[in-house]
Amino acid sequence: MVACSVGEQHFLKGGIAQELRTDGRKNLTYRHTYVETGVIPQANGSARVRIGGTDMIASVKAEIGRPSSLQPDKGKIAVFIDCSPTAEPTFGVSFYLALVTCVLWFLLGRGGEELSSELALALQKCLLGGKSGAGVGINLSSRLIKEGRVCWDLYIDGLVISSDGNLLDALSAAIKAALTNTALPKVQVSAEVADDEQPEIDISDEEYQQFDTSSVPIIVTLTKVGAHYIDDATEEEESQMSSAVSISVNRAGHICGLTKRGGSGLDQSVILDMISVAKHVSETLMNKLDSKISAAEACEDES
Amino acid sequence: MAAKQGAATTTYSPKIIARTRPPIFKNSDLDWTRPDGRGFHQCRPALLQTGAVSSASGSAYAEFGNTKVIVSVFGPRESKKAITYSDVGRLNCNVSYTTFASPALGSQGTDHKEYSSMLHKALEGVIMMETFPKTTVDVFALVLESGGSDLPVVISCAGLALADAGIMMYDLITAVSVSCIGKSLMIDPVTEEEGCEDGSFMMTCMPSRSEITQLTITGEWTTPNINEVCLSIILLSPFSCCSGLETVVFLFSLLMLSLCLKHMILIN
Repeated sequence: MVACSVGEQHFLKGGIAQELRTDGRKNLTYRHTYVETGVIPQANGSARVRIGGTDMIASVKAEIGRPSSLQPDKGKIAVFIDCSPTAEPTFGVSFYLALVTCVLWFLLGRGGEELSSELALALQKCLLGGKSGAGVGINLSSRLIKEGRVCWDLYIDGLVISSDGNLLDALSAAIKAALTNTALPKVQVSAEVADDEQPEIDISDEEYQQFDTSSVPIIVTLTKVGAHYIDDATEEEESQMSSAVSISVNRAGHICGLTKRGGSGLDQSVILDMISVAKHVSETLMNKLDSKISAAEACEDES
Repeated sequence: MAAKQGAATTTYSPKIIARTRPPIFKNSDLDWTRPDGRGFHQCRPALLQTGAVSSASGSAYAEFGNTKVIVSVFGPRESKKAITYSDVGRLNCNVSYTTFASPALGSQGTDHKEYSSMLHKALEGVIMMETFPKTTVDVFALVLESGGSDLPVVISCAGLALADAGIMMYDLITAVSVSCIGKSLMIDPVTEEEGCEDGSFMMTCMPSRSEITQLTITGEWTTPNINEVCLSIILLSPFSCCSGLETVVFLFSLLMLSLCLKHMILIN
């Protein structure tokens, strides 16, 4: 957590009011984004995304499981987020000096654990859609191998290596990149078996298939500082925010999820305005991210 | 004079304000009925009561259809966990379910972490935290029976309990959720509807300031859809959602007024 002096606070807020932030950006500009895919050989797919000082790794692991009885035609997805104690002292108890601050933050209810579960919850909301399965970012039906019997269970793990604000946007970008990178082996299921038996499975070593990730939404967080709102806030700016709205938008321009953080209330017209701004911003961001991901994929294929 | 006022208000019924609102749901959407036979824009019958727990500083009981919730507020009292001085108060929220709240077996009446943090977020923007420095207000919610839209009921009930405890707030808080199934939007969904919804929308607002303190959306929504829901809820909330609350608040403020009057009489 960054502590700002009164002077710094005025400087920050004044800059935002005049569309010139402390690092020279405009209010709705993102920091430099860097994408690298295939960073973890043990996982089925992985990516590392850096947005300014925020650094994330996302990995996708898949295992063969049984679909739940409630939704026999769909695979399962779980999202876990881990905030590394090395990223920020408030995330854990790794350093002696950090211990006191950590305990303090933890008691105030903002420890790494709570932050992790909050981030995971927000991502789950944005990726998994409604309960009936409409509007999902990741098409769960495509993970199905045999209805009611065999499906792929996807475990998406996000690791916050270094945190400099805007964690949710970076995580969603990392997850999108990791899913694009994911290759699942082709699976053959033996034809007919009795109802209560688990069918035989043959996993191919050579043939892999990839996901269609074009419908995976990305999250755009608009942080309200003073009367203005900004994109891609740094940690300093986040410490001055009154509230933040994270909006996940897919390629079609539809809203797939929305969560609000921060204490103060917002007028409904402001929220509607934010949604339209987020839609506009997401379009350019999505294009930029897609080209970065494909460049990273091409780079990985070469090496 | 005071007695006369009291007598006049015993038969109070909420005033019906003549205001027109646009139709939220088009006629073409209304081709099937909801499990409990309600209209799409109708809330379940609600019962709201303050003073449900005598040992708490303030408490409230809310019943929206089958959803039954009890919320008690303790404090402002000394912060047990606080290490440093803080010039604003702290808010501690906890939502838990009883073992018999839902038909699912094996649910051990556990704390609901997700709802606890959402309740906290919804309330922190409403309470004037600076009015109780160095101390903590605890809000404990217990879902006695889960019948759908649990969180909005918990939030509305918590707002009432806070008012009953005499904690300063900018406005009474009300929450409502809307489910989207196919093309229809339905307010205040029950468990069955929540189970098959395509998208859900939960909003917490302060009606008189028309300010939104908490908003979550899941599922895929188009912008016009969101605009429609946002606007209609704001218009709707003072009517269907708050009429009950307003009654209680009115009764509560009446109680305060009568106490003040008594006090004045004593002084004179």
